[in-house]
Amino acid sequence: MANTLRLYLTCIRNTLEAAMCLQNFPCQEVERHNKPEVELKTSPELLLNPVLICRNEAEKCLIETSINSLRISLKVKQADELENILTKKFLRFLSMRAEAFQVLRRKPVQGYDISFLITNYHCEEMQKHKLIDFIVQFMEDIDKEISELKLSVNTRGRLVATEFLKQFI
Amino acid sequence: MACFERASPALKEILLKLYRAEKPMEIDHHLYEFGSVEYHIQCSSSDPHNTYLSISTPLLSQGVVFSYGLSHYTIQMVKEVCSDVVEIINPAKEGYQLTLKLNFAKIPHKKDLKIITEICTVQAVILSSQLKELLQNVSSHDISQGMYKPVKLVYHPREPFFVIRQPKKITAVFPMRFKDNSDVIIATAFFQELMDVGSSEAWARAPPCTWSPIPPPELRGEPFEDLSTNGGFVSFDISSRHVEGKKLDKTAWSLLNFYAYVKYHVKSTRGFIQRRMRKRLDSLVEVLQKASTEEEEDTHIKKVQGWKCVRKLVSISKSKTLRRRCSDFTKKIRRIRLPIKIHGFDRFRRRWLKIPKFSSAMKYTKLD
Repeated sequence: MANTLRLYLTCIRNTLEAAMCLQNFPCQEVERHNKPEVELKTSPELLLNPVLICRNEAEKCLIETSINSLRISLKVKQADELENILTKKFLRFLSMRAEAFQVLRRKPVQGYDISFLITNYHCEEMQKHKLIDFIVQFMEDIDKEISELKLSVNTRGRLVATEFLKQFI
Repeated sequence: MACFERASPALKEILLKLYRAEKPMEIDHHLYEFGSVEYHIQCSSSDPHNTYLSISTPLLSQGVVFSYGLSHYTIQMVKEVCSDVVEIINPAKEGYQLTLKLNFAKIPHKKDLKIITEICTVQAVILSSQLKELLQNVSSHDISQGMYKPVKLVYHPREPFFVIRQPKKITAVFPMRFKDNSDVIIATAFFQELMDVGSSEAWARAPPCTWSPIPPPELRGEPFEDLSTNGGFVSFDISSRHVEGKKLDKTAWSLLNFYAYVKYHVKSTRGFIQRRMRKRLDSLVEVLQKASTEEEEDTHIKKVQGWKCVRKLVSISKSKTLRRRCSDFTKKIRRIRLPIKIHGFDRFRRRWLKIPKFSSAMKYTKLD
């Protein structure tokens, strides 16, 4: 793993460890309702300052915390057009299957490619450190997968081009 | 047309059915392919040995129209397709460019499949022969107004391409159009690979290929709609060595199918990406599932331990539980003694079971 990537991921991990101390908190507006405060943002006293971690202009992570929920938004690097469509396709594919992930948001926060919403219930159902591991692993995997996909598409193109030119010889 | 196979599969099926039929069949069948190719198969029980196959196909080039729609070279090429079995009917049936009389009785029994497949390639023969005619004259060139005039070939109505005769070479230019933006990017990646491979030393004998997002200068003066693309322009420089002998047929067929080839590649790449993403989804979900199952296991263990603790407590304070049971019982009795309350009964009583008030003799009521 590149040194800068390791630092970036370590920073995210540490921030998540600090931010992920969620507790059950009923909604102050509607009785007998329990809503993620980070989404509603009705009571400012329940929100913490959002943390933005940037590796570079194209790669950043926004962590927004509230008393009972946490929202993580990621922007994945897209070096060229091919990476851009592969990232869009892949993240859209995952967002469409958000129910499989439980913590994945169907629509990313504006300006980001993918968002996660972790509530206190998720923390109760799953172990906190496992959730953090998942987020960090997810970030690593997405980068790796997009690089591999790009390589595969180019390799396929090269093979197909070779086969086409073979017909003339 | 978007079919790498030269023989039409539908036509082949019908002709094989006719050939293998035990009893003579009466058939008058119209068959359409790719929206613009039409076949008419006619066979009557009175003349069971002869079947008539008429073909109507859009011409590759809208240049010179010959006596019955097709050039002599094309007719010659069609005649070469199983000359024993096939006979060209002159003039062709109205509305068609070519009518063939097929004599199934002359087909040798063991070679039936091969011969019928060859007959079904007639449309491909017609189209490729037109391009072959152009490619054969690599050295000769016609100049109009000091420029090499591009010939527009329409293999598919929406996908025309140009052939430009130049001294010692023929340039085939393909304006590439795609419906989807992602298709454009996949295709562009392919064109760049095509250029890279073509320019390498190992492929020096292959025709040089170039891709550019803007139209090449040779196409200057062509209609705007032909030059507006989203996938750029791919050009192949065909020299005389690419059209020598048997290579001519392969070169013509490869050029005709270039669009289909690119589109097939784009489609299969999209499928490949989809398959790969699906596979990756499982591995990503697995991490989360592991987390939740481990948590469940942990809580299960904790629950068992907790139960043991409760058992210990119960065994220690029996008197307390007896007292609790006693208090529960007394509460129940108190609840029974209380008057029964029906929800909403008060309102009902006020409305319907109201006792009218009578004014007393001692008091007076004020009159309005």
